[in-house]
Amino acid sequence: MIKGAHSVIRTADPDDAEALKSVYDSQTPRSSLLDQRRELIAPTRDELREVMSQKEMGKAVFYTVEDVGGEICGFCCLRGSNPEAQFSEFVVIFLEESTFSTPMADEVFDFLSRLAFERMRNQKVVTHCLDSEAEYRKFLISHGFRSAGVQRDVLYSQGRWFNLEALTLRARDVAFSAGGVR
Amino acid sequence: MALRSKTFIRRAEREDLDTVVAWMEDSDFQLFLYGDPARSPKQIREQIVSMLGRSSAQTVPGGLYLIIDSAAHGPLGLLSLQNISWRNRNCSIDLYMGRKEMRHKLVAGISFYRAMQYVFEELNLHRVNAYIYSFNEASWRILERMGGVRELTLPEHVARDGKLYDLYGYGLLRHEFEAFKEKNPHMVEDLVESMTGSNSGADKTTEKAAETDS
Repeated sequence: MIKGAHSVIRTADPDDAEALKSVYDSQTPRSSLLDQRRELIAPTRDELREVMSQKEMGKAVFYTVEDVGGEICGFCCLRGSNPEAQFSEFVVIFLEESTFSTPMADEVFDFLSRLAFERMRNQKVVTHCLDSEAEYRKFLISHGFRSAGVQRDVLYSQGRWFNLEALTLRARDVAFSAGGVR
Repeated sequence: MALRSKTFIRRAEREDLDTVVAWMEDSDFQLFLYGDPARSPKQIREQIVSMLGRSSAQTVPGGLYLIIDSAAHGPLGLLSLQNISWRNRNCSIDLYMGRKEMRHKLVAGISFYRAMQYVFEELNLHRVNAYIYSFNEASWRILERMGGVRELTLPEHVARDGKLYDLYGYGLLRHEFEAFKEKNPHMVEDLVESMTGSNSGADKTTEKAAETDS
């Protein structure tokens, strides 16, 4: 368990499935919930419990983010690691989009980027955001991510097309604070 | 399949197995697309059998593996449509010209044109994704020629021979392919003529194409 001034980050467990389910049930399409075909999926609570039991060796570790009072606020992970080209996909999900502009989000960034660049020795991380995720994009840009381009008409949902932007952050562009969340 | 001509696309048959295994074992396949050089031929064969097995004729599969064939020259290459989303009406495309002597731009261009016709006019998809390594200029030039837009440049994204290269993400929307056909009516006629072998009104390029592909 990693305690910051505004957050507690710990490995997720099956009891967190209910909170994750609420993210899948929300009205805002999120890039992190798309599958390989870029389709929004609707997993059941049991399927999420199974994923969060993290039994499979070699799979990405999924972390739960709580506030200091123990309330679940979101999740994060590095997934799809490519050891040959030394990159991973950077994923942060908050139950409320407004959390991206809080110090808690900065602590999650600090934790995940240290994991990616210091422990896993990645040369970069990649992430995606739909054009419905304005707060997430603002958060990424404020931490040094740069746009790698926008794929048009990738997702069809709620009667319209959504574009998907890819953003990257290179290890050499990250300046860690002296303290931070480890 | 309605696209049959001198160069045509068809579903892969069991008889294609040896040809496709040979293509996938080639170092060029692993350089331009994917694959592990340490894989045994048995593993490659098993992968291809499972790929071909997924290409059901009657369901709506998530992936299609097709052979680019020529009446005169036999199988020329492999076309795979992957991650087909029937909801988002898009897919990713990989096109590999297995016959190296047929890799010149015209045959590859015709093959790609055929693939786009199939994707947009038969499968009724809205968008095609193609991920191409930056060093594979011949391929991304063909895509740009047909109206594809380079939407992504992922820096240092793929490792080959100890170096990191950029990955380009291309998108081609249906209306862009249609616009390409409208803006280049002669080019399309030339392509079709070269595929059907009809030389009426053809210029020298077409005649050369017809010779090449007849």
